[in-house]
Amino acid sequence: MESNTLFMKNSEIFAEAMIRCGIRYHFAYPITPATDVMKYTAAHFHKVGGRMFQAESELAVINCLTGLAATGQLGCASTSGPGFDLMQEGIGFMTAAELPCILLDNMRVGPGDGDIIGSQQDYFMATRGGSHGDYYIPVYAPASGQEIVDLMPVAIDRAFTYRTPVLFVMDGVMAQMIETVDFTPAKETVSSYDTGEWSYTGAKDRGKRALITGSYAHSDGEQMVKKLMAKAEAMTAKEQLWEEYELEDAEVVVCAFGLPGRVCREIVQERRKQGEKIGFIRPITLFPFPEKVFAGLPGSVREILVVEMNYGQMVQDVRLAVNGRCNVSHYGHVGGDQPMIKAREVRNRLAALVPA
Amino acid sequence: MKTFREEKNFSWCPGCGHGIVARLCAELIEENNLRDRTCCVVGIGCGGFHHHYMEIDALEAAHGRSIPVATGYKLGLPDNFVYTLQGDGDCASIGLAELMHAANRGTPITVIMVNNGVFGMTGGQMSPETLISQKTPTCPFGRDAKLHGNPLKVSEMMQEMDGVAYLARLSVATPTLVRKAKKGLAQAFKAQEEKLGFSFVEILSPCPTGWNMKVVDSYQRLAKEVAEILPVKEFINKVGGES
Repeated sequence: MESNTLFMKNSEIFAEAMIRCGIRYHFAYPITPATDVMKYTAAHFHKVGGRMFQAESELAVINCLTGLAATGQLGCASTSGPGFDLMQEGIGFMTAAELPCILLDNMRVGPGDGDIIGSQQDYFMATRGGSHGDYYIPVYAPASGQEIVDLMPVAIDRAFTYRTPVLFVMDGVMAQMIETVDFTPAKETVSSYDTGEWSYTGAKDRGKRALITGSYAHSDGEQMVKKLMAKAEAMTAKEQLWEEYELEDAEVVVCAFGLPGRVCREIVQERRKQGEKIGFIRPITLFPFPEKVFAGLPGSVREILVVEMNYGQMVQDVRLAVNGRCNVSHYGHVGGDQPMIKAREVRNRLAALVPA
Repeated sequence: MKTFREEKNFSWCPGCGHGIVARLCAELIEENNLRDRTCCVVGIGCGGFHHHYMEIDALEAAHGRSIPVATGYKLGLPDNFVYTLQGDGDCASIGLAELMHAANRGTPITVIMVNNGVFGMTGGQMSPETLISQKTPTCPFGRDAKLHGNPLKVSEMMQEMDGVAYLARLSVATPTLVRKAKKGLAQAFKAQEEKLGFSFVEILSPCPTGWNMKVVDSYQRLAKEVAEILPVKEFINKVGGES
């Protein structure tokens, strides 16, 4: 595609951003609401010498991605809830093996088969990991098509810099929204990263390299975990991203990520015009959680209302970040005919918290 | 030999067939000048030790996932030589789905399944390949077809798949069979190098420790009892060479 400004579905925007940034391999298995990504890459990757590989299961998807990453090339896998479940062992494995990749989870309702309509119920799985062991990976939660494009080169950089899987999460509603987007920020950067120092391309003119995540001495496992924890610490120090609005004199702060963040921001803007002292925080990285913005909140804040399309997941990170300095309450909604959080309900909660 | 680390002590038990298979792989890698561009993907279990004695790049995959890892690797580096080395637990139990689909797709990789009929590393438990009436810690009264099914004939399952370029069941039971195994393995390697499709060799191998047998007895059992149920046979050879 020639034009930089396009009107596309957000799942397709994700795929097009990958292509423009230089990702050439996409592994996937059909699953709603993430199939649009693989449909797009199947139709377009071959034009740039790449390939969409439809594997027989999400187990195969994440392990094919592992093999590709071992060659030093950056690939991607996209999925939704149940498929993301199946990939967890592989994601933990890739983290232990220090293999970079880009992942996308278009979140749907669960647990079980759940519902194909959108949710934000994979927050815990995304930020805590579903694999065994101690590990964290960077998690980006864009709230618009434009933010997907803006974050793609950042995510690619962090994947190579920290040698880690990097995860994008979108709720299934946002995944299927169509938006206008400017692709100018999606510059080709993948080829600028040199992976020759660690990739497993054959023992030519060098000694053998072996990818081992298991322990042959009990000290191996400990060393591996210490290395991963050092990376997580560095990410926590350097990589927190968030959007904030009108926090200086706020008494009540609304906090939401992804698409509910957009809804809540509008409500907060609306209430501000009425003179109510309400501020807004939208975490963009879910790991590392943007605890810095919570640490810097003014003393005027007495209540934080966390709004999510789940029954209370990110709210736990907010509580940890404020550590009892103010009240934290939650409004969550999942599924039904209208999966989105209801603006009226957010307004009602705010009215109760900020008496006129 | 540059590929084989003859100075290293084996982790495998005395009499184990894995060492023979590793030696054969190393000889073929050397003879075909493949070392510089070879990657071996090993499974979990005793097969995982395979690369320890080899001077080649290696990936230790998660349990049962060597084949998709090799598939992704081959996609990224189509001119490299990639083979998996898995036990029957890794390949025929937890990794069976991946094996069937890679075979059917004709993915140009070589899969070596060392079949000793038990989960060796965890202590000789029943695998899909355990013979009827064979006793293991998880079928202490012997494998019963009504309870556990019959030994899975993995090689036979792939006979009708067009994507398979080489398919054989081999054995290390006797010196003659070892020489035959090397020829079959050579054809499997060639199938990949000539981009003819998927190649698979099942190599029958003894596990004296897991079978609770003396080494000599285990080789005799392999040559007779095991081969009666799982005969040494070449099923598909699109390479056309001698085997």
